Amino acid sequence: MMQTTNEYNRKRYRLGLWFTTPAVIVLLTVLAYPIFASLVLSFLRVRFAGQGLSFEFNGLNNYADLLRKELFREALFRSVYFTVIEVIAVIILALLVALMLNHPLGRSAFYRVVLLVPWALAPVANAVLWKWIFNANYGILNQALAGLGLIKENIIWLGSPWLALNMILLADIWKAVPFIALLMLAGLQNIPSYLYKAARLDGANVWQQFVHVTLPGLKTTLVISIVLQSIWALKVFDLIYVLTKGSPADSTILLNYLSWRETFSNLDVGYGAAIANVLFALMFMLALVYIRALRPRQIKREG
Amino acid sequence: MFRRFLTRFFLRFGLAAFTLLALGPVVWAVVTSLLPLSSLTARPIDLNPANITIENYILVLDSSRGLFSGLINSFIIALFTSAVGLVIGSMAAYALARLNMPNSNRILMMILATQMFPGIVIVIPLFLVMSRTRLVDTHFGLIIVYLSFILPIVIWILKGFFESVPMELERAAAVDGASPLQTFRYIVLPISLPPLFATGVFAFIEAWNEFFFAIILTRIHVKTASIAIAEFSGQYQTLYGQMLASAVLASIPVVALAIIFRRFILEGFVEGAIKA
Repeated sequence: MMQTTNEYNRKRYRLGLWFTTPAVIVLLTVLAYPIFASLVLSFLRVRFAGQGLSFEFNGLNNYADLLRKELFREALFRSVYFTVIEVIAVIILALLVALMLNHPLGRSAFYRVVLLVPWALAPVANAVLWKWIFNANYGILNQALAGLGLIKENIIWLGSPWLALNMILLADIWKAVPFIALLMLAGLQNIPSYLYKAARLDGANVWQQFVHVTLPGLKTTLVISIVLQSIWALKVFDLIYVLTKGSPADSTILLNYLSWRETFSNLDVGYGAAIANVLFALMFMLALVYIRALRPRQIKREG
Repeated sequence: MFRRFLTRFFLRFGLAAFTLLALGPVVWAVVTSLLPLSSLTARPIDLNPANITIENYILVLDSSRGLFSGLINSFIIALFTSAVGLVIGSMAAYALARLNMPNSNRILMMILATQMFPGIVIVIPLFLVMSRTRLVDTHFGLIIVYLSFILPIVIWILKGFFESVPMELERAAAVDGASPLQTFRYIVLPISLPPLFATGVFAFIEAWNEFFFAIILTRIHVKTASIAIAEFSGQYQTLYGQMLASAVLASIPVVALAIIFRRFILEGFVEGAIKA
């Protein structure tokens, strides 16, 4: 008996190796290798020589360039601004939506479908949709505001630097709220209802219940939502590509877009890789927070 | 009593506002995609239903526009990405969940962390390698790259499911003399078909919607629907109706899938993200 169990376990282990191999090979090829290579590239100067490429050691020059170039500093600042505002707005709006949908009045499946529509929409379709809404001459936004008497002449939403960035932010928030709201809804439903009953017995009003039961119960979900949303906000690309291409005067260029443009338009591969690595470092720190937020539960469950 | 009334009043108001804000832009896009340019550029916009036409849709599906072939390319790429992702991913997920792999928790955490790499970090070296191996602008190249973000999701979701399969079931199979492979093939897989299928749907949506890798790794032959739309909106900026019609066409399949499989997305994936 003992021996067959051992043999069976050995078989299981061997099968486990076979089963993980394909996934490991794919992930090593398309993730591990490129991440390593991108680090190496950021220390090189890459030139397109005829059909091929030429590589030349460039030391820390690409990173020194980062500090020197104003466009990078501006893009970094704007990325941070974009991410902070997006996270705050998305978390508050999503929490509001989740609270409404968790109330008996909002439980109907209809509202779940409403949430899924903006989430599933192709990001490029989303960008085109907002391009049309923001259109200065025929867009519904100007027409609605004019109809309400709020503006006298059409505003060129994507035409002035600060405004354009904020309009992109608005479109991105609209697209992002549903998924985070779904996360929070799942989080709300995991809070045991006896906690609310106990709070009510102790005479807590709605606000006190929210502060002392809902918020602590949502803590993990909130941390995860903040981290995921920050990562997604740092990655924004499609909206910029379709709505402004970085214009006016490079004022809507964020880090991800800048890295793409330096690499694939200006063909400055080493410098582009250096920017990408800065972005990577930012996201990696956020990923560590996510993993830490998930971990305590795991230990509890195993123990 | 009055407070209760007030709460309900505000809630109904809030829910209505939420519905309007979430669906309004989408409905607006669909409505205007059905109107001729002359209606859209009238002031104020001419919403007379008598003008409704599917002309924009017919025009954008014309073969010269690239949207039709884009939709086909997106379909092929999304289908193969989710199929390959499911096969490789379910095997890895089962191994991590049930086959005593050492450090399986640490491996899973790493897989999860891979979700958080910015695409730009991996795409620069991949582009250089793929240009040299002539994989740029091929279905195969894009599918492989898409596996980088599909595979981790698939493994993550399915691992959670495989863990919920009762251990007794597998023990019983082992007692009856089934090898681990047979147990997986004849016991675990058949009862996992619904979650496998649903995970595939999720992967399909993600691959279909992808834009960033596609714009870098495709040129002419395998332009996806998203690329076709982005190009269209750059080139023919003033053909608003056609621009919206192509956006609607590219969104219908994924929005429909999301609604049909909403139960899974809500219960399976969303909860999986907050529960390790």
